[in-house]
Amino acid sequence: MPTSEELNRLAQAVARSADRQAFAALFKHFAPRVKTYLVRLGTADGLAEELTQEAMVSVWRKAATFDAERASVSTWIFTIARNLRVDHFRRMGNRTVEAEAPDGEEMPDTQPQPDELLLTHQRETGLRQAMERLPAEQLRVLRLSFYEEQPHAQIAQELGIPLGTVKSRVRLAVLHLRRLLDGLE
Amino acid sequence: MMTIQHHPDDDLLLALAAGSLARGHSVVVASHLEHCAHCRQRVELLEAVGGTMLDALPPALLAPEALARTMAAIDAPVERTGARPSAPHPALPAGMRWPQSLAGCSATRWRWLGPGMRWSRVTLPDDAAANVFLLRIGAGKNLPAHTHSDCELTQVLYGAFHDGRARFGPGDFDEADGSFEHQPVVEAGGECICLASVDGRVLFKGAIARTLGALVGM
Repeated sequence: MPTSEELNRLAQAVARSADRQAFAALFKHFAPRVKTYLVRLGTADGLAEELTQEAMVSVWRKAATFDAERASVSTWIFTIARNLRVDHFRRMGNRTVEAEAPDGEEMPDTQPQPDELLLTHQRETGLRQAMERLPAEQLRVLRLSFYEEQPHAQIAQELGIPLGTVKSRVRLAVLHLRRLLDGLE
Repeated sequence: MMTIQHHPDDDLLLALAAGSLARGHSVVVASHLEHCAHCRQRVELLEAVGGTMLDALPPALLAPEALARTMAAIDAPVERTGARPSAPHPALPAGMRWPQSLAGCSATRWRWLGPGMRWSRVTLPDDAAANVFLLRIGAGKNLPAHTHSDCELTQVLYGAFHDGRARFGPGDFDEADGSFEHQPVVEAGGECICLASVDGRVLFKGAIARTLGALVGM
């Protein structure tokens, strides 16, 4: 499995020189995982296949916007797949809409400050280890949040705990992650 | 530089990062992020959690021609969708900017709601059913007293109000549910404009408030 540095280099090669081999390598690693992500969120196999290819086409076209200082390539591709999925189901639910919003981005396009960039970099490198150190019940709530359509109500039901407990676990998980990343724990 | 005191909870930001937050709520949270580097960092952390999880997922089986098809698609000419047409929105006080998160959304002109109270219905291009609106309330006026059957998100765009617990100024974010009876009062110094999104039905008390409920279809 390629390391995150290797994946970052591949993404940069795609961005700088439209490197098709680098793109194929990114595809090999990410496309099957993007499809798993979509299927786990309840997308039928055929549609998941189609959206996966669409997501990878976006990866090619948006490669110039990839900024290794700001996010890892996994995070960048995750946000592309997430937005594509959200936009797709939104369009399906709104057939009366006249014009499609071009490449709807969830996040406002804001430039981070230099100190934010530094934090982002530190954060990304330590995140995996930090997540491994997270208490199991907190990690579970985070994981379910990314794979459930309506996170809180469904998670509460699934785990048989009150909604407030889900919210407090999310808060604890985020607090915990931040402290682990800051080296406070 | 505004000082932001009230931020969205982690669970809202997590839902945004995971792509599961309702569209109406997303634009209100996004309008907060435009002005809040602190919350942008929190969202980026959560997105990085999503990215780390994506990386750790077991690979699915792809169609044999998946890569070839994708390669063919990247060679196809890109359809230019063009810039979004600038949609109409109500007149704003000098110095107030239309939130970027509402780009492409249309909003009605200011409509009379009561003495010193006006509102504008915001229509999202990709979710016509979302209950998103702007409230423009004059200095010293009360917002209609109401409780919530569900969740209401409010972002202060201009001016300030006090809700009996705390002051909410420009850039501040408020989440309210049925547990608290709201009676926000706008500060005496000037009017206040808020962007709000409602999930459930808002239970207003009083005639004007009921009219608002009927107008907004809540």
